[in-house]
Amino acid sequence: MEKERELVVNEVMGLKNGPVLLRMPMEICARCGTCAQVCPVYNGKTDFRYNPTLRTDRLRSLYKRYATISGKLFGGWVGGREYQCGEIQEWVDPFYECTGCRRCAVFCPMGIDHSVVTRKARSIIHKFGLTPQRLLKVTEISLRTGNTDGASPEALLDAIQFLEREMKEETNLDIPIPTDKVGAEVFLVPPSGDVLVNPDAIMGIAKIFYILGINWTMSSRMFDGANYGFFIGDDTAMKAQNLNYINEAKRLQCKVLMVGECGHAHRVMKFIMEKQNWWGKLPFQVESAIQFTASLIRQGKIKLDPSQNPQPVTYHDPCNFARSCGIIEEPRIILKAACQDFREMTPRGAENWCCGGGGGLSAMDTIQEFRMTVSGKKKLEQIRATGAKYVAAACSNCKRQLTQLMEYHKEDVVIGGLHDLVSRAIVLPGFAARQPAQA
Amino acid sequence: MREFAFFVGVILPPITLVVFIGGLLYRLYLWWKLPSPITTLYPAPGPGVATFFSVLKATFFFPSLLKTDRPFWVFSWIFHATLALILIGHIRVGTDFPALWKALGINADTMSTVIGTTAGIIILLAAIFLIIRRLMIPRVREVTKAGDYLALSLLLAIIVTGDAMRVLGHFDLELTREYFAGLVGLRAPLPPLKGWFLVHFLLGQMLLFYLPFSKLLHFGGIFFTQTALQRR
Repeated sequence: MEKERELVVNEVMGLKNGPVLLRMPMEICARCGTCAQVCPVYNGKTDFRYNPTLRTDRLRSLYKRYATISGKLFGGWVGGREYQCGEIQEWVDPFYECTGCRRCAVFCPMGIDHSVVTRKARSIIHKFGLTPQRLLKVTEISLRTGNTDGASPEALLDAIQFLEREMKEETNLDIPIPTDKVGAEVFLVPPSGDVLVNPDAIMGIAKIFYILGINWTMSSRMFDGANYGFFIGDDTAMKAQNLNYINEAKRLQCKVLMVGECGHAHRVMKFIMEKQNWWGKLPFQVESAIQFTASLIRQGKIKLDPSQNPQPVTYHDPCNFARSCGIIEEPRIILKAACQDFREMTPRGAENWCCGGGGGLSAMDTIQEFRMTVSGKKKLEQIRATGAKYVAAACSNCKRQLTQLMEYHKEDVVIGGLHDLVSRAIVLPGFAARQPAQA
Repeated sequence: MREFAFFVGVILPPITLVVFIGGLLYRLYLWWKLPSPITTLYPAPGPGVATFFSVLKATFFFPSLLKTDRPFWVFSWIFHATLALILIGHIRVGTDFPALWKALGINADTMSTVIGTTAGIIILLAAIFLIIRRLMIPRVREVTKAGDYLALSLLLAIIVTGDAMRVLGHFDLELTREYFAGLVGLRAPLPPLKGWFLVHFLLGQMLLFYLPFSKLLHFGGIFFTQTALQRR
């Protein structure tokens, strides 16, 4: 017990050193209730358990008691509380009920971002070895095999060959998906789900590279941009996972590391690793496949035939792409060009609701009921309100969550990516115009 | 009673001033020193001065609240704006600027009576609305703890006693100016404080003691958090 308390108290006292977004929520929450009003989980079920600032209070009350003078003197009167033996066990479920979507931060007048507190609490939970088993496993498998599925390079090559055959059948063209090509200009890093589960996106990207004659490659070992160390609050694992990809990019001597449709992969690579300059000057740029394709459409370098996607399509903004990367308009450029009937959800963009599976939650089968009936509730309402038959979600975890959500609630809605629709609509050279697709 | 008035009026104020100013500067300094890696929340304005203006806008108008809860924003903004106005008006309790008023052609006492009384009533109504909101809405009530009720009671008491001075008792502005001049210039003896003013002054000082070490410093903290969120 003493050791347990000591460890937690040390972590809590360390909050005084910041950074800003970690210490300030401890000190300036004005208790206004706005975060609860805009939280997808609290809106899924009105229960004080899901109130974001009450969840943060688990840390905040300890911070007040152990890290502030007023807390030491006045205890409960200023919101300070002593650590209870075994309390850390009680933290696991609540902090894995926050999707880290940052919607609270968008609306909080004080600029409090509970996702930062959630990650910190998860890092403390991790130090006690209490991270949920499934996520621990995925993190470990990723580090060991290079991808979250534990798939071998042989399995990846098999999948790639299958996709190449698919494209040949569809277009009668030999569109390659190169692997392990040293000296290629672009190194594509998709989420593994986009190769093994929903591969239409890869085919879409392959077609684009084919049309432009771009020298690109994937890696048979490093084909998954996901970073579960980021989700579970394990900085060591997060950086180690990232470094594996940096080293692979260096090995392949690419000029561009292009991240595919995975929100947190792009965020970690471009907005965390690069902004915090983890590895010094790199010999390549980090780009997003979404921004790349959107700019091609803007410049008229690829032609799309929207009649190939006649069904009503809507776009779900993955939290990481919209709120943490600012990639909001580019997906819409793609969808408006590739689809006949694109319709927006309300709210959209940076105010869009989380799918309910963010923060690694969509990988956790143990909380499926929660994800289907609580954290995903607002999303379900939104999708229904659009009348869409296809929801484009540029994120593997969102796709998993939304696919389950549609199935659970018996909705006849297809979940897919952006480049899936591009794959259907793209006009390929030397290939007779396709018939408009059946609705 | 005289000893109490002496304590509140003579002993306490310099301590209050040191604790308030010192505490404020100390806390702001600590926060200013905190590291802040880029954690942009999009859409964020462009780099440079645009960030600064966006942060100012967030601090003075909190537009995110306007988007999500208009009635709450209205009463909250009125409360804070009126509070700012009243605090500025309090300068005239300590000193005055007769040359300024002459130049502007304003009867300052009438201005203070009209604006001050109105502001005092508006802020009371706004505060009551906000307190009722806090008690009635579950997601707000459930995050309110003992310390929050204490702080609210203090604020409410300050507003009520301030209004009482205006509406109930006879308030001698000259006397308070003489008192503050004496305090600053360390001149004895000081006129004795009494009645609503004594209570209001004591409560106000208690607030100044409490402010730098509490969530009430959110008005100072917002600058740091919003900068962290809007920096690109």
